Amino acid sequence: MKGLIKIIVTPLIIIILTLGTTGCWNRRELPVLGIVMGVGIDKAMDSDKLEITAQIIKTSELKSSSPEEGGAGGGSSSSAGAYWNVKNSGESMFSTIRGFTHRTSRKLYFPHNQIIIFGQSLAKQGIQECLDFLLRDQETRLEVLMLVAEDKSSDILSVKSHLEKIPSVGISELMDSQAANSQTIVIRLNQFVTRLMSPTTASIAPIISVQGKADNTELAVSGTAVFKRDKLIGQMNKEETRGLLWVINEIKSGIIDIESPDQEGRVSLEIINAKSKITSEIIDHKPYIKIDVKEEGNIGDQSCTASLVSPDAVAALEEKKNEAIKDEIESALSKAKKLNADVFGFGDILHKKHPKEWQEIKDDWDKIFPNLEVEILVEAKLRRSGNLGSPAAPPEKE
Amino acid sequence: MLHYLIKKSKFLMLLSQNALERNKQEPSQDDQNTPANLSQSLKTNLDLIKGVIGNNYDVVIREFSFDRQRQVSASLIYLSGMTDPTIINESILKPLMFESRLSSDSAPKLDDIEMIRTTMLSVGEVSKSANIDEIVDSCLSGSTILLVNNCHEALMIMTADWKSRSVDEPKTESVVRGPREGFTENLLTNTTLLRRKIKNSDLTIESIKIGQRTKTSVNIAYIKGLANPLLIEEIKRRLNDIKTDSILESGYIEQFIEDAPFSIFSTVANTEKPDSAAAKILEGRAAILTDGSPFTLTIPMLLIESFQCSDDYYSRPYFVSFIRMIRYLAYAISILAPATYVALTTFHQELIPTALLFSMAAAQEGVPFPALVEAMGMGVVFEILREAGVRLPRPVGQAVSIVGALVIGQSAVTAGLIGAPMVIVVALTAVASFVVPAQTDSGGILRIFFVVLAGFLGGFGIMIGLIGLLIHLASLRSFGTPYLSPLAPLSVSDLKDSFIRAPLWAMITRPRTIGWHDLKRQEFRLKPSPPLEEDTQSK
Repeated sequence: MKGLIKIIVTPLIIIILTLGTTGCWNRRELPVLGIVMGVGIDKAMDSDKLEITAQIIKTSELKSSSPEEGGAGGGSSSSAGAYWNVKNSGESMFSTIRGFTHRTSRKLYFPHNQIIIFGQSLAKQGIQECLDFLLRDQETRLEVLMLVAEDKSSDILSVKSHLEKIPSVGISELMDSQAANSQTIVIRLNQFVTRLMSPTTASIAPIISVQGKADNTELAVSGTAVFKRDKLIGQMNKEETRGLLWVINEIKSGIIDIESPDQEGRVSLEIINAKSKITSEIIDHKPYIKIDVKEEGNIGDQSCTASLVSPDAVAALEEKKNEAIKDEIESALSKAKKLNADVFGFGDILHKKHPKEWQEIKDDWDKIFPNLEVEILVEAKLRRSGNLGSPAAPPEKE
Repeated sequence: MLHYLIKKSKFLMLLSQNALERNKQEPSQDDQNTPANLSQSLKTNLDLIKGVIGNNYDVVIREFSFDRQRQVSASLIYLSGMTDPTIINESILKPLMFESRLSSDSAPKLDDIEMIRTTMLSVGEVSKSANIDEIVDSCLSGSTILLVNNCHEALMIMTADWKSRSVDEPKTESVVRGPREGFTENLLTNTTLLRRKIKNSDLTIESIKIGQRTKTSVNIAYIKGLANPLLIEEIKRRLNDIKTDSILESGYIEQFIEDAPFSIFSTVANTEKPDSAAAKILEGRAAILTDGSPFTLTIPMLLIESFQCSDDYYSRPYFVSFIRMIRYLAYAISILAPATYVALTTFHQELIPTALLFSMAAAQEGVPFPALVEAMGMGVVFEILREAGVRLPRPVGQAVSIVGALVIGQSAVTAGLIGAPMVIVVALTAVASFVVPAQTDSGGILRIFFVVLAGFLGGFGIMIGLIGLLIHLASLRSFGTPYLSPLAPLSVSDLKDSFIRAPLWAMITRPRTIGWHDLKRQEFRLKPSPPLEEDTQSK
């Protein structure tokens, strides 16, 4: 009898006890999930309500357009799209999202959501109320990409991707490829919110827009939306964005176009490696910022015929590149000052470095920032010239 | 219900009382059955033996007389089919019937039987007894019994020889490199195979007989001075405690002596290969060889033994170490893959990479059953196919594989009964489960156990199951040796032969938990290297 208790009853007790510690869990089979791949949040046209567009994948369509079927059947179903953009409006994020159950047969499932797009008008009005749900709910992810639409976010989500089955996946892949140019900021929800919660630093997000007309539309990302607190106040163009990225050490790769030293054509230099460091000082209650940028790159392309591999030519190119980088940073700086938005996070750096002095100036930061003195030091290097030394051109006659 | 329980407990009490009483009576019964001894008269003796085994058609009783005047009558009793007729004809009958005429002695005396034993019989193993039971037992094991008139003792002449399978390559443990011979059903052959591997006087093979009716010979083989004497004592105690009527296979013994009869894990290892049995004996283990079974038990068993294989030690260590880890991985897959799939698709969809989720969701679309039912169903189908594959006669083998692979795999997916990923998972599991043959049994049960846990509790359930499994494994002992050693208790030097297999020259000691009686296996500095430059120069 004692053995029986040990074998059967003890494991039973253990299993029953552990059932209480499972926390939040729920059993759902895959076919009952409406997998959300993208979310667009807009202000409703006529009222003050929120209008949310959710892009749900149609799993059955995914199956029929699999390569196994092929042929005309596969083609036609892929033109219909393996997704469904469903809209709902409501007073708050949570009630609107729950409200989707009135329209969809499956419960929306957010962990695989790739992007959140805010409509222009909503972004101008302020997006703080939308962010709370996205952070608080356990199904939504903090790594989701954030974008601002040039107009309405629902328009963006309805543009078909030419390469991917799901537009949201296309947008997320598009953002992944931005590192090749470093002219667009790629920002995720957690990074956005970190900036939002800082007293001084301004939030930023890339801008996405619809290009082309009627049937032949495509998406493009260009420029950066600048937020003051949670409201959209302005935009930065591509050059200004790269200037910003130089400062915040987010440059991955990219091309710098400069005039060739002999002024006969242009040279494209590829950025291979870039690092920046921001140092600060407070002298006599006046803050100073110093930005050190170190860059290394290759010659990627040249349209002039002169050989650029001689030490003199390299030095001249480096000099020109220095200036080009400095110009980009300065343009970003002047735009930020114009908007009075500390997109670089100078305020936070001063706060960390000089906590005592910061207390004196923090309330006046909005007045100090537009007149902040910033020193920019750029040290650009040219390392290699690709597979060629001299350009592939006939030798110049003596 | 309560009434039933009370009745049941009363019944149990009665049973135990009866057993006690029977134990008390036993000695008196033994007294009544005191074995009869042989008498002087040949006729009486023959009648006595005939009375015990005379009715059998394979019993041959050959009456003859010998000596010069052919005045001594004698009888040979043997079982045809279990004895070698050549020995009987050439080495027993011939010397007695023909060569005895040459001897000048007159009538045999009382101690004549001793004279016959020492001078007349040219057979190796001859013993003497007056006990009728002993004589009959020996006859049934293949001895030829010689009864001589006027002698109250009989000679038991070893003539056992019967048809048995030749030494063959074992079917269960295939190796790429290494000896191909395997144990047979013949105990003598098996001990010979062991002796040929270990030519050492310390190799001790002790024999006992188990089974009141089958009287099966069981041998314990170990190396004196290497095996822990307490272990040998314990094995003998447990073997002697087996009071059953029959032992037909070593599996009977295994189930009577194992430490954890309620565990799904076996605590007694078995092998069909003399080389791996010898290797285990040389590590300080004991082997139990059973007559009639090619499976030799080795004791004690560790869990990691299931992942070791005899050709691990014959091949070079690098690839072997890689394969070892593959085995552990395969075992993990074989018990956890369906459970993980069920947990991921029903609880943790957020853990699946997005692109994979697309294809899984697309495949799962329209499948009528929940993942748990799918996994259980496919698991059962696989077990059915496997069992059918084992039992079916060879010529119909193809039918089962076609039905299994085509109908159940392909058609079920096309018909939309089962998602394609589930078929892949089950197929992977099935293949992986054959990588570790020693744990195939436990793996099959654990697989279902984990699938159920995952179906109800998800990844949390799998974790609970794994913790429970670990606790259970840590609690197991095999003849006093912790089942999880050398991992728990940790013995760092023994890890050389666990997840990896260190080069042989680096494995200086025997496993600490088993060979502690004589730890050192070999000398240090056995690493081969070309001669140093100074050495060659001095020469």
